[in-house]
Amino acid sequence: MLQNKSFVKRTRGGKITKVVREHYLRHDIYCGAPICKVCDTSQARLSPTPSTILIFDTNVVLNQIDLLENPAIDDVVVLSIVLEEVKNRNLSVYNRVRALCSNSLRKFFVFSNEHHKDTYVTEMSGESKNDRNDRAIRVAAQWYQSHLAGSARILLITNDKENKRKAIEEGISAETVESYVRSLSRPDLLDLLVQPASEDVNMEEVEDLRPSKRKIIYTEHKPMSEITSGLHRGIYHQGKLRVNRYNPFEAYVGSESIGDEIIIYGRTNMNRAFDGDIVAVELLPQDQWHEEKSLALADEEDEEEDVHLVPGSADDAPWTTAQPPGSAGVTESISSRPSGRVVGIIKRNWHSYCGSLEPMAMPAGSGGVAHALFASKDRRIPKIRIHTRQLENLLDKRIVVAVDSWDRLSRYPSGHYVRTIGQIGDRDTETEVVLIENDINTRPFSSQVLACLPPLPWSVSSEDLANSIRQDLRQLRVFSVDPPGCKDIDDALQCTSLPNGNYEVGVHIADVTNFVHSDTPLDDEASQRGTSVYLVERRIDMLPKPLTEDVCSLRADVERLAFSVIWEMTPEAEIISTRYTKSVIKSCAALSYIEAQARMDDSRLMDPLTTDLRNMNALAKIMRERRIQRGALTLASAEVKFQIDTETHDPLDIGMYQIREANQMVEEFMLAANVSVAEKILKHFPLCSLLRRHPTPTREMLEPLLRTAAAVGLNLDVSSSKALADSLDSAVADDPYFNKLIRILATRCMTQAVYFSSGDLSPPEYLHYGLAAPLYTHFTSPIRRYADVIVHRLLAASLGIQKLPAIFQDGTRLTSIADNLNYRHRNAQMASRASVELHTLIFFRKRPTDTEARIVRIRSNGFFVFVPKYGIEGPVYLTPRGDKEGGEWFVDEQQQKIRKMDGSMSYSVLQTVFIHLEIVEPQPNRPKLQLTLV
Amino acid sequence: MRELQLSLNQTQKVRLQRALEKLESLSSKANSNASVTVADSIPVNYEDGLLKGHGTSEFNGEVVATVCGIVERVNKLVYVRALRARYKPEVGDIIVGRVIEVAPKRWRVEINYSHDAVLMLSSMNLPDGIQRRRTALDELNMRSIFEENDVICAEVRGFQHDGLHLQARSQKYGKLGRGQLLTVPPYLVKRRKQHFHHLENYGIDLIIGCNGFIWVGEHVQVTDDMVVDQVNKSEQDDAKPDENSISPEDQGKNYTRQETRENICRAANAIRVLSTLGFNITVEVITETVDLSTSINVAIHEMLGSEFYVLVAEKESVRRSMTKKK
Amino acid sequence: MEYVSPEGLRLDGRRPMEMRQIRAEIGVVAKAAGSALFEMGNTKVIAAVYGPREVQNRSQQLNDSALVRCEYTMANFSTGDRMRKPKGDRRSTEISLVIRQTMEACIMTHLMPRSQIDIFVQVLQADGGTRSACINAASLALADAGIPMRDLVTSCSAGYLNSTPLLDLNYIEDSAGGADVTLGILPKLDKVTLLQMDAKLSVETFENVMQLAIEGCKAVATYIREVLLENTKQLEYRRGI
Repeated sequence: MLQNKSFVKRTRGGKITKVVREHYLRHDIYCGAPICKVCDTSQARLSPTPSTILIFDTNVVLNQIDLLENPAIDDVVVLSIVLEEVKNRNLSVYNRVRALCSNSLRKFFVFSNEHHKDTYVTEMSGESKNDRNDRAIRVAAQWYQSHLAGSARILLITNDKENKRKAIEEGISAETVESYVRSLSRPDLLDLLVQPASEDVNMEEVEDLRPSKRKIIYTEHKPMSEITSGLHRGIYHQGKLRVNRYNPFEAYVGSESIGDEIIIYGRTNMNRAFDGDIVAVELLPQDQWHEEKSLALADEEDEEEDVHLVPGSADDAPWTTAQPPGSAGVTESISSRPSGRVVGIIKRNWHSYCGSLEPMAMPAGSGGVAHALFASKDRRIPKIRIHTRQLENLLDKRIVVAVDSWDRLSRYPSGHYVRTIGQIGDRDTETEVVLIENDINTRPFSSQVLACLPPLPWSVSSEDLANSIRQDLRQLRVFSVDPPGCKDIDDALQCTSLPNGNYEVGVHIADVTNFVHSDTPLDDEASQRGTSVYLVERRIDMLPKPLTEDVCSLRADVERLAFSVIWEMTPEAEIISTRYTKSVIKSCAALSYIEAQARMDDSRLMDPLTTDLRNMNALAKIMRERRIQRGALTLASAEVKFQIDTETHDPLDIGMYQIREANQMVEEFMLAANVSVAEKILKHFPLCSLLRRHPTPTREMLEPLLRTAAAVGLNLDVSSSKALADSLDSAVADDPYFNKLIRILATRCMTQAVYFSSGDLSPPEYLHYGLAAPLYTHFTSPIRRYADVIVHRLLAASLGIQKLPAIFQDGTRLTSIADNLNYRHRNAQMASRASVELHTLIFFRKRPTDTEARIVRIRSNGFFVFVPKYGIEGPVYLTPRGDKEGGEWFVDEQQQKIRKMDGSMSYSVLQTVFIHLEIVEPQPNRPKLQLTLV
Repeated sequence: MRELQLSLNQTQKVRLQRALEKLESLSSKANSNASVTVADSIPVNYEDGLLKGHGTSEFNGEVVATVCGIVERVNKLVYVRALRARYKPEVGDIIVGRVIEVAPKRWRVEINYSHDAVLMLSSMNLPDGIQRRRTALDELNMRSIFEENDVICAEVRGFQHDGLHLQARSQKYGKLGRGQLLTVPPYLVKRRKQHFHHLENYGIDLIIGCNGFIWVGEHVQVTDDMVVDQVNKSEQDDAKPDENSISPEDQGKNYTRQETRENICRAANAIRVLSTLGFNITVEVITETVDLSTSINVAIHEMLGSEFYVLVAEKESVRRSMTKKK
Repeated sequence: MEYVSPEGLRLDGRRPMEMRQIRAEIGVVAKAAGSALFEMGNTKVIAAVYGPREVQNRSQQLNDSALVRCEYTMANFSTGDRMRKPKGDRRSTEISLVIRQTMEACIMTHLMPRSQIDIFVQVLQADGGTRSACINAASLALADAGIPMRDLVTSCSAGYLNSTPLLDLNYIEDSAGGADVTLGILPKLDKVTLLQMDAKLSVETFENVMQLAIEGCKAVATYIREVLLENTKQLEYRRGI
């Protein structure tokens, strides 16, 4: 079975070393064609009667991956040498090819030609690595040809002329991608083709004969060797480029070598870098550091929706992208901030982008190839040039486009069309765009995942009751309080008076880990999804629907399994003892917040349930008070609530989300349960617990808040969370909304709370700043958050009920899980925000409104306002478009005011203004919400 | 696998291969399945009174080998004769050894055993040949008999409390001079009646020690009343006939004729070849090998060349098949 | 890093349960009482055994058993970068000790009181699994020297990467940072004489990995026995009557 052996020499690092690796050649690698009589066909992937078996060479796979993903291409043999090269060149393409190969619907077979005894080729002297690999591809193609001897046509697809010539000489049929796709007579596939870069240049010259267009727009990227040595000598600085969300012409590179962020102004200095690319930056001479201003509201001609809604709940403090664009005092400080230009791109972050084509006239000779500009929904991405043969179809569509190249001669990168999502402005299309942009998996659960579900209909079995680890708590008066219409009820409460005057307070959480076992497909899927995503009109579940809405959901009047945290509390809400147990409960009522509130408020009701509610509320108030005493921040968010038409799913009304005492009561007990569980698991697993922390904001992060506060004569103490909480409390004015506004602004200055593995950080860093809790984790929502599932397992293991799954032994795995959870969590938040934004747009489409707004940030040509009623934030321009520096308006940084030159008018921060909200369509199919002063 | 570290060309390889295969076929019938390796179980029929000998042990009721070798059965005794092992002395063995230490009343001798052997001053004949008590003076003069690194020949006397004792109570034992010491694996030497050989054709002595040390030296006349002077005299006697043929500066007390020296080397190389090939070493085989080398005019140094190895192997296969037929 | 491709091949073309090619040769050092060369793929180790012989340092002499000593070295040319390593560094001291203890467990030292056995192992080429190769080579060399042993010790390593148990890790797999279990067993007696692991594994996974390593050891044992038996037979027939 084993054959030996060939040697590979390799040099690496500065020193030259000879590396000898074994390379076994095998007999037992099969061709993957079911028609084959010689090979073992159990692993065969190709179709039973393939007419043509395709073999692609490396460059074709690298460039035409979008084509390969199209179902029209099938019966493909992917050679391992091709895979390996693709992996070295572009990991994301590699992952996509791998996904294709493992997709059971597609007939892609991986042939390990490098380890097959007949298709392995040794490097000949004087042969370059590429030539050798090309030869290996040809040898493999030839092997297939003779192996399947006539029962199928083997077609080698290569765009390399030399390779194709040699292949044909050797008797292999070979074609270029284009000619093959043409032969399929599917014009839509041609759009998926990537135009080779060299042709691009030619085309440019042919197309635009104007001399101005032909000139070199961008400076050349430095070769890698020069960059490496430059980085070494400290001339260049490496970092990830982040483009300003509000101004795509401004980007930041966080550099460790400088310890500060380098600002990059303008596309020329960005030099073809995309958001997220790892770039090498050269600092500009100091005298050029303030040549451009970041003060203006971004308004290039591609200004788009600038509506930015404010982030969610208090726990999930917002995620500040880059530095908020310069504010007061910028003129002085800006010169001290280093600015630079990109000299080279170390690692591209190209992927595919959602967006639409720039409106353009149909070219005269339609039917042929048209060139169009694609504008991504993400404003940080420059426009992308694409070729298309179906322009008329695409103009009013949301499409996905991938970037292929960006050469020095063209202002915009070139890419190719990948697929169409749907009509622009259509709610479903736009929702889909939101989901794609946030990398949210909406595919239905696979059959393997569904196979892990318990048999349905499920009910508590006698084994569950007999299980000694499970306590029978069915007799307790347990109830749940959730938003109206909530189907995934993952927490329930209970409060029993004890004879000694104390209370037994229980928090019962759905026992999801009883159904989701580790290392099952269900668990893997849930860990990938990380969280359920709540959009305005739909929910994307983390767990399959039967689990989410039935088996795990702690509905009223059914027996359900739970994981309980039970405290004994004094009437002063002092916790005397805590115990944790798996249990069986039977909820007696599933209340909504409104119902619960109504019961508590209705003094005539004296039934036991209401009494429990009142007792709990009393306890919760004490706990809340104590928590605030400790320095927990009460942050405000501008969550809005839509009323959705049940038929059309269009929003009927929009309003601020109202927070009642009942909400706070439930929240308080959830926080307490989370804290208790965090302490318990950390005690048992100091190195592998999954906790949640909220880093203390730095002074710079709070700077905008302080500046705004100072402008309205408010002095905030930010020395500690306690001090901040106190000064926020004292920030009252005669205006009732003032305090909330300040809190919203404070919320924005915070960093995002994150999950982490306790082994990665030292205990002082575990702090949750916002809650002023030294330890915190998520335990209470295992149906919709995977972090809670992990914490459930940890808690069960710490009680000795279950064994700790293997992944907890693996620090790096745990860290990567935590990272994924943070990523998914953030994306879910962004998606729900974007969904809200989308629905706001739909809402105002038919309802131009006048309303009250507050100025939150001052810019040189206008200001950002916040509309409390709708939770909308948007720009208001004082000067007409294009007139950038205004002229007649000037900004008083100290006072945070914008004044007319003649002093006749001024606007200052936090001032109330009246604005008009209206949807305008400056260009067809591009609706946007426009805010104008009344 | 044990491989000869020789550079053979293709034909030599084939010839050697063939010769070795022939040897294999010759011996295979004798005891084919008797070879065992460590931890192989030895098939025994469990009749009463089974005696487990060297190289065996018991595990789970089975008799298990603890060394690689050949299973031997003598009546009820089952033992494994290890091949490549150190020498195991038996009383009466004639051995060749090297003095490594002169200690009070004794010499320590390295004889390829796991311990050093002891030769008591009292266990050897004094140079004057007189049987008497050893005096303190004798003890002081021990170095005049054997010094460190002297090669001596002796007989195994037996085990005492402090190790293995040797004796040299005859004039044929004693210090060996003017020759070569060769070490071969002890399993190649069979115990025989005669271990001292005088190859008259070549004028050399051959002492095949049971411990795998083989002495090839100039022939020494053994007389029972030999004294040191006489030894010298006899040497001179030997040297005299050729006195005219050799150059004057080589003359001296310890002079050995060149021809004899060449013969010593030839015999030594023959032994080297045989031991490398792993053939049994007896005086007959040695003389035959030496004869072979002279008959085909192989120079002494060429005897260690690959061609001669092949020749010896072929010759051995022929020889064994001859003896087999008889 | 992907150490096992979805096709089930490792970087060097083996499947997860496959060992590298092994080769053994006996009698490579003329002067030694026993010697052997052992190769596992590109890992190549030479071992020489001297003794049993008189104890060199009388104070170390044991009156009821033999003194076993072991010295492990890596040839300067054994790795890709030729480094001059100081003799007796921590790693080689440790491995010397490991080999000594492993071999002591199988040598019937009580049969050779007041004597000393020296084992010298040197790595000629290192490509992962040197510890195992050294033990296998030493085991062969001891058998060649005719030293009585309870059983042959054989050793093999196994690891756990990409959630797959892998047999006989080579250098790249070894340095991947996953768990690496080196196991030495007495195949006939079914006993473990050496077990080392330098990472954490859950008990179930560990048992799988260990089982795999046991299989590996047994395969090595089968091969070693073949080699020894063939060697014994050859010695015997060559010697003649």
